[in-house]
This record gives sequence, C-alpha cells and structure tokens, in this order.
Amino acid sequence: MPPRLNTRTFARSIPLRSKPQVRWSARTATRFAPSQCRPYSDFTNSGANDRSKKIDAQPADHISEEAAKTAEIMGEQGPDMSKGTPVEEIVKGDKEAQDKLPKVMKDKLKAQGNAAPKGSRSYSTMTTQTGAGNGLDMGLVDVQAAIKTPQTPGLKFEMPTLPLPKDGHLKYRYDPVVEQVTNLIMQHGKKSVAQSNMALILQHLRTSPIPTINPAKPLLPGAPPPSHLPLNPILYLTLAIDSVAPLMRIRSQRGAAGGGVALQIPVPLGQRQRRRVAVEWILGAASKRRNVGSGKGSLAQRIAQEMVAVVEGRSGIWDRRNAIHKLGVAARANIVLPRKR
Amino acid sequence: MPPSICLRNFSRLSIDAAAHSSSASRLLHPRAAFFSTSSTRYATVAAKRKGSVLPPKKGVKSLNTKKSKKAAADAGKRPAQGERKAQRKRIVLSNNNALEVSSLKDLGKENVLSEQNEGKVMGIPGDTVDALRDVEAFKTTQGWSLFRRPAVLMRKEAVQLARLFKEVEDSAAGQQKRTIRRILSGDRKSGKSTLLLQGLTMGFLREWFVINLPEAQDIVSAHTEYAPLPDSQPTQYTQDEYTANLLQQIQKANGAFLLETKLSTTPNLPIPLPETATLKELVALGQANPEASWPVFVALWNELSQPGRPPILLAVDGLSHAMRNSEYLSADVKPVHAHDLTLIRHFIDHLSGAKKLPNGGLVLGSTSQSNSPKAAALDYSIEVAEARQKSPDDIPQWNPYKSVDARVMESLKDLHTDNKNFDVIKVGGLTKEEARAIMEYYAESGLLRHTVNDGFVTEKWSLAGMGNIGELERTSVRLRI
Repeated sequence: MPPRLNTRTFARSIPLRSKPQVRWSARTATRFAPSQCRPYSDFTNSGANDRSKKIDAQPADHISEEAAKTAEIMGEQGPDMSKGTPVEEIVKGDKEAQDKLPKVMKDKLKAQGNAAPKGSRSYSTMTTQTGAGNGLDMGLVDVQAAIKTPQTPGLKFEMPTLPLPKDGHLKYRYDPVVEQVTNLIMQHGKKSVAQSNMALILQHLRTSPIPTINPAKPLLPGAPPPSHLPLNPILYLTLAIDSVAPLMRIRSQRGAAGGGVALQIPVPLGQRQRRRVAVEWILGAASKRRNVGSGKGSLAQRIAQEMVAVVEGRSGIWDRRNAIHKLGVAARANIVLPRKR
Repeated sequence: MPPSICLRNFSRLSIDAAAHSSSASRLLHPRAAFFSTSSTRYATVAAKRKGSVLPPKKGVKSLNTKKSKKAAADAGKRPAQGERKAQRKRIVLSNNNALEVSSLKDLGKENVLSEQNEGKVMGIPGDTVDALRDVEAFKTTQGWSLFRRPAVLMRKEAVQLARLFKEVEDSAAGQQKRTIRRILSGDRKSGKSTLLLQGLTMGFLREWFVINLPEAQDIVSAHTEYAPLPDSQPTQYTQDEYTANLLQQIQKANGAFLLETKLSTTPNLPIPLPETATLKELVALGQANPEASWPVFVALWNELSQPGRPPILLAVDGLSHAMRNSEYLSADVKPVHAHDLTLIRHFIDHLSGAKKLPNGGLVLGSTSQSNSPKAAALDYSIEVAEARQKSPDDIPQWNPYKSVDARVMESLKDLHTDNKNFDVIKVGGLTKEEARAIMEYYAESGLLRHTVNDGFVTEKWSLAGMGNIGELERTSVRLRI
C-alpha cells in the first residue's frame, strides 16, 4: 500500500488554489474586462460577477480527499478514504492540540515546520483573470473562420466579416503591448525612431535561441512552451513583461504612522500600470548594460537581451518584484478598506 | 665724521634684507647655482592652518546629505579593435528558429535560366551561397537573417535577366559574341541589389567568370590608398590594397576555374612568374604583392580575353558613386573624377561599350536609392531610357540650367539611342501573384502568422506601395506597419 499521505503536501503552508485552466484562443475577444464588482455593497447580486460558483473559488479539499482525487486521476492507488485521517491532519493548525501530542510527533512537526519550500514564495503572486476566454494572445490573426454574414442585395462591396480584424483600425494597428512599449521607449517625442527600435527588438527576439526557463522564476501560468516563443516575438515580449510585472505599488503616506515615519500602504495596479512599471524596470536594466556594439541598433539589442534574461529568470528585476510583493504583504494591515454600511 | 645718511642706508640693507626687493637680496646673498629649481621644489609647503575654512559662498549648498554617488568602475574588457565594426557588418544568413520550408526547391545549373521558375521562390544552393558571400553580394540591410536559408523570388525582372544570360550563351557558339549591358534602376527597397545578387547567382551556377565590385562607394570614398598609374595620359590612379582585396575575392569565388587554367600569354609583370603557372598562382601573386596587383589584374583580364574562356559577368552596386568626382585629390589638389580610377574606368569602359568582352558576357550596374549622391547625367540617361521603353514620343529634355558631367554623359550615350545591347531594367513592384508566392514562403517559414488569402495579399500589396518587395517584407514580417 502506498503511503497514505504525500509528504510533499505537508510542505504547503497555505493551500494553493488550483489554477484555472488557461485555454489558447486564437483570437481573444477582450483582453481585459474591468470588473464592476463592488465587494461590500452588492454581495447579494449573483450575476456575472458572482465567483462563488467557480471552481477556483471553492475551498480546497481536505488533504486526504485531494490526494485520493489526484490518485484517481493519475490512475494510482490513493489513500484509503474509509479509514481515518491521521492525527497530523487533525491537529494541523490547532496549537492547543499540538501541545498535547507525544514528543516524537511534536519533533516531527517541528522538523517539517511550517516553512515554505525553498525557492518558492509563501504567497501567491498571480492575479485571477476575470472573464472567460482570456489568455495570452497567440498572435494568430484571422486563422479562425470568420462568421459569414448573409448576402445583402444592393451593396457595392461585400459586408465585412465579423469580428472585425483587430489590426483593422489605422490608429490601433499595433498590438497594445507593442504600442505601449514603443511609447515608453520613445525619447524626445521621436516616435518613428522608437518604432524602428521596437522592430529591431522584435527581430532580435525572433532570431534569439530558444530560452531555457528557470523553474524558480515561474512565468505566467499557461505560458506556451519556450520553443514557441522566438517565432512569435510579440508573445515573447508580452510574456516577459507580464511575468515580471508587479501586482501593487507601495504608497508612502506621510504623517499617518506617526513619529515622522511614512505609512506604507500597498495599492493595487491595473494591467496597463503593471506593464508600465515592468517596462520601466526593463528599460532601466537595459540602459545599465554594457554597450558592446556600435551603430544605431545597440539600444534595441540591449533591451531585447534584458527581455530574454527576464524570461530565463536571470534578470535582477525578479528580485525587485519579489521585494515589492514582500513589502506589500508585510504592509497589508495598513490598507484601509471602505467602511461597510 | 662720516655722513649719517649713507650709514643709515647701509644698515637698512643688512638688517631687513628679506623685506626688500629681490634685487637687493640677490646682491647680498649671491647663490652658486642660478638655474637650480631644487630649493623651491624641496621647500616645505606652508601647511594650511586648521579651522581657517572660508565661510560658505552665498547660494552654494554646503550641507551634502546625499550619499556619495560613485560611478561604478567599468572594469570589463573592451571589445578589441575592429570588433564592433565587424559585429555591425556581420552577415547572418540563417535563423535556426525559422521553419524549414519543405516545398522549397533549389536553383541548379539546369533550371536557373528556365522560364518555368517565374513567380516561384527558389533556394540558393550552399556552394553558391559561399561564393556570393565571398564576393560580398549579401548586404546587412537585407532580411537574410530571418529565414532558415537564403532563397530568392524569381520575379519578372529576374526571368528577364535569365533571358539575357541565355542570349549571351547562345551567341557563344557563333562568331559574333554578344556583350549585353544593363543598368538596374528602381525605387527604394524595390530589390535592385537582390536582383543583382540573383544575376550573380546565375553567373556562378552557369560557371561564368564573375567579377563583382560590391559597393562603388568603397572605391571612391578615399578610404584606400591610391597612386598615379605610370605612363597614363591623362593621369589615372590605381588602388593597390583594394585591387589586391578584389583579386582575393575573385580567387575565392572562381577558384575552380583559376586552378585548372594555365597561362597562355606571357604577362608583363614586375615580379617574375613561371611560364607554366596556373591563373591561380597569377592571382595569388597579386594578392601577396599589392604593389603589383593592378598589373596582375590586367594580366588576368588578358588571359580571360583569350578564346575558349568562359563568358564574364561584371557587376557593380551603387552606380551613382562611380558617376561623379571621387573624394581623392590629384597632385595639383583638384578632385579626381571617378572615371580616372583604374577599377572604375575598367568597369565603365565595358558598360559604355568602349570595350567589348571578347568571349561575350554581361555588364550589370545597379543604382541605389539609399545613401546615393546626385548624379544628374546618370539620372537623366536612365529617365530617357525608361521613356524610350514606355512612350517613345515623349522623351524628357535635359535641363539646360544644370551643369552636365560630360564624361558621364559620353559613357552613357548608348542609352539615348536604339542600342539593343545597352538598356535599363526597371525594377518595379511585384505582381499580386508574385506577392502571394513570397508571402506564402513567409508563412511557411513561420514568420507570418496569418492565412494567406486574396484579401490579405491585396491588403499588404497595397500597403507596400503596389508591391514594393522591401516594404512588403517590412509590413508582413518585420511587424513595422
């Protein structure tokens, strides 16, 4: 009989939510749907914003049940559910009961500790994506068969097929991430220079070798395999930026803490703001890199190298992001929520 | 009693000698070494008194609370001399990420001149790629680094060029061997240099003797040494280093022919050469001794002019640089015309028809629209030739207020007549079928993530200025719309 408990599950101090399966959609209808949810005022409303039915909102299974389910899926023999749950599980999280355990078990508990596994964060850094069908844009345009509109008599040209192509508008012909990065690269209002730098960055990503992902620096969940990245440079760029983008910023409120110390309050960032912060970090790191070549393409090359370093987990930006998140977790008590009426 | 005044003066001299002018002290204490600086050097510097700091100036921040910012010492190794430029000029011909195109067929000796290729994308075989690389036919601005391996679209103009190759080869059997001369002209990014490269590919595959001047600007920009050619009237100038380098390119690209061919004439060289030497040894002589490179080039040309030798392909890119004054100065500080440089003159003589290729051949010159100087006579001649092709009734007139470069006009005068051998190939936009073929190639290489259908092709074709191939690549592959 296999051991009833997977020892690895002990290591988890906080039960991680199972991640929603990200599906690849060739064309995403909406990239980012701002939620209209007001959490305290309309909790009775069970409309589209009600996430209680969602699988990721369900409380995690009991540890043995989860192990049994996993074993069933994997086709292995899991713990026998008809038998009792071991004592360790019962006393878990119960300080009073733990004191009354025999010494052997106390020592064992202490040894395993509540420490998170080395190299992984003790808190989640992923946002849940609201709205279905979201995911990374695979850059495939118009591969899906578009809906054919019925023939209408009296038209000189055919009716346009719906949905309209996303690059159909003259002013929005670039991908939103590309557009944003271009604007952030721009100096002295010289947009066409920024655009040609952007094109060089994408070309560099396209010709760079397949990145090796560092498991200690996980990319976004649902990221495509690294072999897909160089052929889709926009996805590569988006993945690098979104993976390293921080979830919050720390606002220092002066005079709120007293004693001349600023009160640090974490403030959540929107998607565009998060990307902006990430791009500015990347640009800062790139400008500190040594310029090895000569000529006009060197800035683009350094930025592209930094992007590759981010995806491969070599970049120092990851530490920066972790520091912000850690500070945010530490200062979470300073958040003042609106009073409930 | 002595006079009191005199005594007083004398005593003052002796007591406060230091307080008086230096002339007085010098008189009193004559020094041994008048030119010594040691005393001042070893004199102890009066230490600054502590606590005598001047009060802060008005408007200057005296309190510096910021942490001292030290510039990080950049101790890394610098790139070696020439490394940066080498990186900038590096030619990359392969992208391992791009997908292999299974349907891609190679050009070969048999099918390179075939008209069935029209509108197809064809791969360039490996040996030819090496030869093209040797003659510097690939440019950094071209998009070779995006694809798995070099391939070219056999467009309408390329087939037209292939037809010329065929004409020359057909005439090789008869007595009258033809020398056909063409100038490639067109808009920016319309594929002139690539068409020239296609011409060179045809030359290599059909085993012609290929001489390519990769960039006329390098010859006239005064970056290589020059020397007057003895016994030339008017004075011509040789460029020994450049010519030696050109001989090396020729040797690398046409090595097989040079190796198997023996000398048939006795060349007049400053350095002795055995009578039974091969042409390769002749060329190697020129490479090793740059001062003899021009006589070696002339000797090589004489050898190639002997009967039974292959046809010759002479090509140059950036023609407008060769149609004006060069950056060199003559002995009386007058600018040297580009036609007075021996290499350029050699090319121009064959382009203008002043000299003929005895075994037949093709002379190709390509204009450039980026980084090209104004050469009014060349532009006008091309305009006239294009007008003659399109609408012979409406030939443009020379603007009489412009100063004319008579030498250039003289060398291009055949463009103004009905000479079949000298003409212009206008490199225009692709047709939609050709655009579709190249876009399917992009899509199969994995660089274009879109279904290639009529609507999409038409859209990109129009965006690219009616099928300008460079713009087409830019909008569909380089993601710069």
